[in-house]
Amino acid sequence: MDGLTRISVDFSQSHLIFPTIIACILLVLGLAILIVHRRAISGAGAHFRAVLDDMDKPRFFGTIGLTLVYFLAMEPVGAIWPNTGLGFLLCSIPYVLATGVLFLHDRSARSVLPVAVTALVGPASVWWLFSELFFLTLP
Amino acid sequence: MEVFDIISPLFVALILAGTVVGIIFGAIPGLTATMAVAVCLPLTYSLGLENGLALLLGLYVGGISGGLVPAILLGIPGTPSSITTTFDGHPMTLKGEGEKALRLGIIASLFGGLFSLAVLYFFAPPLADFAIQFSYVEKFLIILFAMTVMAALSNSMLIGIFSGFLGIFLSLVGVYDTSDGGNGELRLIPPGMEDMLFSGFSLLPVLIGLFGLTAVLDEAERGMPRGQSAADIRIGSQSSFSFSLLRGQVWNLIRSSGIGTFVGILPGIGGSAASILAYSNAKTFSRHPETFGKGEPAGILASESGNNGLTGGALVPLLSLGIPGDSTTALLIGAFTLQGIQVGPLFIGNNPATWDAMILAMLIANLAMFVVMYYAIRYLALVVTVPKQILFPVILMMCVIGAYTINYGIMFDVWTLLIFGLFGWLAVKLRLEIAPFVIGFILGPSAEIYFVKSLESFGDLTIFFTKSWIAILLWALIAASIAFSVLTGRKTKMRGFAKT
Repeated sequence: MDGLTRISVDFSQSHLIFPTIIACILLVLGLAILIVHRRAISGAGAHFRAVLDDMDKPRFFGTIGLTLVYFLAMEPVGAIWPNTGLGFLLCSIPYVLATGVLFLHDRSARSVLPVAVTALVGPASVWWLFSELFFLTLP
Repeated sequence: MEVFDIISPLFVALILAGTVVGIIFGAIPGLTATMAVAVCLPLTYSLGLENGLALLLGLYVGGISGGLVPAILLGIPGTPSSITTTFDGHPMTLKGEGEKALRLGIIASLFGGLFSLAVLYFFAPPLADFAIQFSYVEKFLIILFAMTVMAALSNSMLIGIFSGFLGIFLSLVGVYDTSDGGNGELRLIPPGMEDMLFSGFSLLPVLIGLFGLTAVLDEAERGMPRGQSAADIRIGSQSSFSFSLLRGQVWNLIRSSGIGTFVGILPGIGGSAASILAYSNAKTFSRHPETFGKGEPAGILASESGNNGLTGGALVPLLSLGIPGDSTTALLIGAFTLQGIQVGPLFIGNNPATWDAMILAMLIANLAMFVVMYYAIRYLALVVTVPKQILFPVILMMCVIGAYTINYGIMFDVWTLLIFGLFGWLAVKLRLEIAPFVIGFILGPSAEIYFVKSLESFGDLTIFFTKSWIAILLWALIAASIAFSVLTGRKTKMRGFAKT
């Protein structure tokens, strides 16, 4: 009986012990969820269709799209002026402006103005604070 | 270093600034104390540990407290922990007693905060001294216990546990680090991503993504609901506040603060459970339970002292065992990591000045919160009108800085922020539980080390049951926690049946 509980750990394979156990537990729990919540899972298609129907698609996908472009552009722009953090600054200004305008309900000049001011002042002050004052690395 | 060397005008100014910014975050529905800490975390790089913690603790206390403002004035909880404040706070506002309700909430917040601070000060050091005796076995069991407690308070125990284990699994991606006693081999990395994922997903970009980006995506999905205009805010002054309102409420305050602190000590549960438990107890013990939900001051006192009681309580397991009490204190681990300090049983003994500075920072933050909120409440009420189109883009930008600077300029950390921001949004739709996931992600690497080292040292699975009386006690607690979860689950189900 004692032999059943004894375990000899091979150090060269020790990196796989815990992930394997966790993966097995996840599998068991996943199966249990499939059984216990089978009704909710079978209705998942309808649930996600409802989520998509109720969603403000332009704002949601717009946020994701703008964020993707922002992240993709930051390093190449930063590489033009290395170690200055200008990649961050030059990409953040249009990003903050574009997301701000995207989030607006009324896009008149009067409403856009505070967003535009924030888009200029926000990134510039943050860039100055982190890059010039705290000497932190920015893209 | 003496504590008086740490207290400088900058230290105090950072606490005050943190508290004010935290109150603003808490007061804006959709923003939380956790988000405030996540967004401001990169600032702590250059501030040093004590000054950085001063800022973050101010944000924490302010963030938890600020939630009462929209809860009372608009009936919308500013933070999840102020949900029960809406029950009586908003009816009081509708009766023209908004100012009275706000002041009651602020006093209760101060009481709860100071109560939990006292518990933290007296309870954490002996617990840490005790925990020093723990071997890998007991440490592993504590993590297991933390997981079961989280599951007990998840909406679904099964999904809560699954989410926690998913967090553990994703935390294991990357190298089994030799500095932790591992063999330096890689695992769970898709082919071609070895360079990017060599050290796995960094904790802070994961947290910033889950709590920062997810919140913004959630608001974007709902079409950025319009905020309130200043004209909508009716603070009311038909019935002025008087301290006599607190007469007969001392026991309510002590009990609710105690509940909040206790819930805070239990890992991973969070402020909403603290305030709900405190509120339901206040109602149960009240002579007039029928007045609750209709503008009963005792309800506000219970809710706010309960959720602020959480602040000190959540720091107890963090500073004595290295296990975060809630998602905000999980972020504080990041601040310690940035400064190269590991939190755990040795922290208080090895860093007495930092410990004293933290206690002092919490004390000043609570007092600052009281002064700022009590005397500037009419102006603070306008915070709820800050437009989201100005706030959210800046928050997104701050999230990027936090993720990029965490490992001194790694772009993959910024992508991690996006990956986990999207994951957080999807996880909510899939009804996964974020709090157990986060705690699992944070504790996963330690759980692995403690588990594997226990087996390497003892070579027998029975060691987890036979190592010491502490191990047996921990198994008893684990069993009790599971039993509690099952019973609570059954009760909820039966209530569901009764309703249908």
